[in-house]
Amino acid sequence: MMSDLLTSLPPGALMMLAAVPLVLVPHHARQVVMLLAIAGSAFSLTAGAGQHLNIEMLGFEMSLYRADHLSLPFAIVFHIAAALNVFYGWHERKATDHVAGLSYAGAAIAALHAGDLVTLFIWWEATAVTSVFLILASGTQRARRAAMRYLIVQVASGVLLLAGAAMLYSESGSLAFAGMTLGSTGTWMIFIAFGIKAAFPLLNGWLQDAYPEATVVGTVVLSSFTTKLAIYALARGFAGTDLLILIGCLMTAFPVFFAVIENDMRRVLAYSLNNQLGFMVVAIGIGTELAINGAVAHAFAHIIYKGLLFMSMGAVLYRVGTVKASELGGLYKSMPWTMVFCIVGAMSISAFPLFSGFAAKSLIMSALGYKGLVAAYLVLLAASAGVLHHSGIKIPYFAFFGHDGGHKVKEAPFGMLVAMGAASALCIGIGSLPGLFYQILPYSIDYNPYDASHVLGQMELLIFSILAFTFLMRFGFYPPELKSTVLNTDWLYRRVAVAAGRPVLWAVMAVWTSFVCALGGYRDAIWSSVERLAHAPITGPTVPGRAVMVQTLVLVVILAIGYLLAG
Amino acid sequence: MSANSEEARKLAAMGQWATRVLLAIGAVLVVLEFIVHRHGEIALEDLPLFPAVYAFFVCIFIVVGGIWLRKIAMRPEDYYDDE
Repeated sequence: MMSDLLTSLPPGALMMLAAVPLVLVPHHARQVVMLLAIAGSAFSLTAGAGQHLNIEMLGFEMSLYRADHLSLPFAIVFHIAAALNVFYGWHERKATDHVAGLSYAGAAIAALHAGDLVTLFIWWEATAVTSVFLILASGTQRARRAAMRYLIVQVASGVLLLAGAAMLYSESGSLAFAGMTLGSTGTWMIFIAFGIKAAFPLLNGWLQDAYPEATVVGTVVLSSFTTKLAIYALARGFAGTDLLILIGCLMTAFPVFFAVIENDMRRVLAYSLNNQLGFMVVAIGIGTELAINGAVAHAFAHIIYKGLLFMSMGAVLYRVGTVKASELGGLYKSMPWTMVFCIVGAMSISAFPLFSGFAAKSLIMSALGYKGLVAAYLVLLAASAGVLHHSGIKIPYFAFFGHDGGHKVKEAPFGMLVAMGAASALCIGIGSLPGLFYQILPYSIDYNPYDASHVLGQMELLIFSILAFTFLMRFGFYPPELKSTVLNTDWLYRRVAVAAGRPVLWAVMAVWTSFVCALGGYRDAIWSSVERLAHAPITGPTVPGRAVMVQTLVLVVILAIGYLLAG
Repeated sequence: MSANSEEARKLAAMGQWATRVLLAIGAVLVVLEFIVHRHGEIALEDLPLFPAVYAFFVCIFIVVGGIWLRKIAMRPEDYYDDE
């Protein structure tokens, strides 16, 4: 009975429902309620593949719960991330992070199961509206401004999606969310809507702008869902679109340079997140079964190891009060567990053999190789070295080693350690037992990443990258960590658009004001002529002018009616 | 102060130790390169020591690129504070 009810609800719905009264529940009970809601939502997945909930609305058939081989792996990892995030945020007494985090995860999970574009749009916007509170909860003026910029960009993505869906409907008569071919304006709008959330080049500014401004828990939660929902949407809508290979290559390459010179460690991770999305986008662009498996596997592994890295930097921020590389260092003594977990995350993202990134990324690299895309292969290989450089080395090195920052702090709270420990176990589990991991992927494959040749090649890539870092460090060529702001594409709307927009706005206002003035002039002219007429000698000196005017008007109306009736 | 300099010495010693371990692993990998028949996904990768050499120079290129990027995109920390 209860289980029937659960399996008929779209996954995620229960989490959103549970988030509403969460504020009223006392602290520890609240965490338990959240875990129960996530478990209940995960139970909905047992309904299996198929269309489980369709409703008629305004003459449209809306598909609220569609599950298949593509949505399932994303749904599994979204639930895992949501549960890990509860443990990670257990120490936080304020309810904002909890309510926003649970409803945001719920909305993202529901979006995975949208079978039509309107349902997708609803949850797409819901993820924006719920997640913005994770940034607002920081409480600073800086965070509030970043939150508003974030919200505008996210909502714009949703509006593009809805407009694209409407155009697609008028072209094809269908709202189903399925594979599309780029061509019509409608499909382009949907493509760009997905591209904004997937942080395509030039559309990526919001990510590095907003994520590092969220709360300690908020950044971890944010890193899990929005961008990977976009990856899922691209995999469903635009698999095999060649353009994505180029876009993905640019995404893997450019953020690397920014990550090297960025001082805020959570922002470094946001650039690195962007680079990781590039790998997935390239794989979706290839579109073969092996490549789609690679994209999904990478998204799965990435949510956990990227979450883990954000968790470790969140723990540092929570204890030290800053994650500026220039002010950190030497924390290995005070926060040894956090350091170990951070290194596990770093080795996973760098794709060391036996860690999750290796099991996932190998699929994408092989898919590229089979397709004979040499240039893209070399870019991704370079980007892999880059990942190791800024996420694998820079993050743990400057936080826990480097020079002594003189911070004597406590180890991270217990809940954080539990979350980081569990995420670390998953990273190693996925990397060590890839056969088991590959079973949940969309297509069944026979692939073994652990042949001697492949492992040796990867180890060479990694060890010589680290040696390059040590070489640059020892000989003083490595750029020092500097307190700074590095301009990113959000500069385009924070500075360029403002500078270019001001004269435009000024011109518009000038035209508008002169128009209003002219209107005022006409109004005055009309009134003054009425006044003149009213006081004109024709009305005589004794009769009040306006009364005559009114009488004349009434007469005119009566005459007109009489004329019409007679006619 | 003395505690700080001792800490700094300790970190430097750890760095030295880590560098030696890395060099040792690197040497083992170079030896393995001539024992294991390594082949890549693309023909270029089959060249001897290709991943090692490529990764080493890519990393240096990235850092040089970063230094160059600093020249054009780095602003003071309070750059956006007037918003």
